[in-house]
Amino acid sequence: MPENPYLNVLVTAALTVIFIIASSYGLGSLARFIVRLRGATAKNQENTFSGYFFAAPWIVGFVIFVIVPLAFSLYWSFTDYRVTSKDPANWVGFENYSNLLFKDDNFRASIINTLYLTVIGLPLQMGVALLLAVLLNQKMRGERIFRMAFYLPVILGFNTAVLLCWRLMLNTGTGIINQMIRAASTAFPPISYLNRASIFVQEIITAVFLGFNNGKFNLLTKLLEAGFPADNRVPLWVQSPLWTKMSVILLMIWGCGAMMLIFLAGLNNIPRELHEAAEVDGASGWQRFWKISFPLLTPYIFYNLVVGMISSLQIFEPIFVLYRDNQPLVSSTISMVYYLWQKSFSHFEIGYGSAISWVILVIILIVTVVQFKLQDRWVTYDVY
Amino acid sequence: MKRYWPMLKSILLYFVLTGATVLMSFPLFWMISSSLKTLEETNSPGIVWVPNSPTLAAYISIFQNQDFLRSYFNSVFYVTLSLAGTLISIAAVAYAFSRIEWPGKNIVFFLMLSTMMIPPQALIVPQYVFFNKLNWIGTFNPLIIPGYFAGGAAMIFLLRQSMAQIPKELDESAFVDGANHIQIWWEIILPLVKAPLATVATFLFVGLWNSLLTPLMYLQTVDLYTLPVYVSTLYNINNTVQQWPTIMTAAVLTTVPLIVVFFFAQRFILESVVVSGLKG
Repeated sequence: MPENPYLNVLVTAALTVIFIIASSYGLGSLARFIVRLRGATAKNQENTFSGYFFAAPWIVGFVIFVIVPLAFSLYWSFTDYRVTSKDPANWVGFENYSNLLFKDDNFRASIINTLYLTVIGLPLQMGVALLLAVLLNQKMRGERIFRMAFYLPVILGFNTAVLLCWRLMLNTGTGIINQMIRAASTAFPPISYLNRASIFVQEIITAVFLGFNNGKFNLLTKLLEAGFPADNRVPLWVQSPLWTKMSVILLMIWGCGAMMLIFLAGLNNIPRELHEAAEVDGASGWQRFWKISFPLLTPYIFYNLVVGMISSLQIFEPIFVLYRDNQPLVSSTISMVYYLWQKSFSHFEIGYGSAISWVILVIILIVTVVQFKLQDRWVTYDVY
Repeated sequence: MKRYWPMLKSILLYFVLTGATVLMSFPLFWMISSSLKTLEETNSPGIVWVPNSPTLAAYISIFQNQDFLRSYFNSVFYVTLSLAGTLISIAAVAYAFSRIEWPGKNIVFFLMLSTMMIPPQALIVPQYVFFNKLNWIGTFNPLIIPGYFAGGAAMIFLLRQSMAQIPKELDESAFVDGANHIQIWWEIILPLVKAPLATVATFLFVGLWNSLLTPLMYLQTVDLYTLPVYVSTLYNINNTVQQWPTIMTAAVLTTVPLIVVFFFAQRFILESVVVSGLKG
């Protein structure tokens, strides 16, 4: 292999293409041979060859990059395998899993953080997405420009560069967000009360969650003793463990454009006649939204809920960019995938990391299956 | 009053939507504004909306920064190479799932759909060990090669849905004229699904351009860093003063390709997402 990294990858890519074409041809021929033995017509043989020939890249990739890795990681999750050590891996049975589920504080923190994002972040995110979708659904001029503007954050979303800009904006002392809060509070006292009340509520809720994290509620009692925040208080976005998750939620709300598009699709699918009939009967816009639009949107809410919950297990970039170098903060916001990365690639504990992967996989399967089971109870599929 | 209500309502609507647009685009504005500021202005305790005397100093210095330029080149190089292979293989697989009848198709299709449930991160640990055995750590290979095997079930699905809507008579008449599947795929079907292809290409581009986790794992030396990895090293907590103008300049230059691509592809994306209910 050439030393030059660019040349190296070009050569590997060319070899990969040759390998894929060869294996496609091989798989196609094999499939054709099998159907010929079964006495298929010439046309069927031809179609079988072509079908497997064209689908082979995915089939071969599925075996190499999904099935085999999954099998290996299942095996390793029962061993103490480390990439760095020369010793062969030892079979440890369920030790990794029992440590992970019952003894590991960081893992418990990651579950509770996900719960926080699901219970507090997702409703906020979906609420904003739904509001924007309803506003855009009014069909007015320039709708396209607004739609673009609301979707752009999804594209920029988790780019490191954009996250660093958020870090600048969220700076406690000189960040623009806190400066605006300060300016508004001084200029207009009710905003100051509103600001401090929301700080108070937010910090108490987060303190409760952090209490579950480490089993100690001293932060909560300290907060309650301190009482209502002082005049000059501002949110401590990227500075205090009480605020780290709220910063992530802020980013989630900013990136609500993907959910908004889903809701917009749902609103488009609602038959116009329903609204017209209700209008004739004298229903107000508010009533029509809650009695017609909202029930018919439940499948879309449901979809966003499943996708949103799964993606909150997988949050990585915001934590890495905002908190990586501030270790005391990481545990207050750590996600499962971040923890997986930390264990596997800072400490190279492959056995333990594999166990985490399998737990993530199982949790996602359970969440999806449970949500699909529960949906009959509250999701309306009528009319469709 | 009642007479003016519709007008009032639409004024209110525009007011709220414009407000939301300003809030949503604010980070972008702030990024550009900060990149033109002096260091004092970015760390000033008062609000500096726009720099008093905009300076291109940060831009000039970043264009002399070899590490930044190299990481920019690395990103363009790896994204192009990866995108080309991934797009072509996805288009081939989508063709197999939409235009050909073959035994086992439904089973394979179902398997493919079910891989959408597997979080990619569940596979990173064993894949890392695998690439380590191949001696691929510290090369671009692990970031590029897996995509060549039609990586991305959701993208295959999106493309398949569009290909399935093309009338079957088209390929049948081409068959009669003696064309084979490869010709039909490349010369007839692909030109007809340009818009979905553009959508898929955009989603892939955005994913690759923003990707941080895998480059972080596999590119161990600063020579190979892609933009997200390099830009993340610019912010260093050990510095007493962060060089915000420089960081934000790097951020602006990182974001420009995303915005350009989105600007050209948005009409495809916004439509196909609404139609198929998929998200990137």
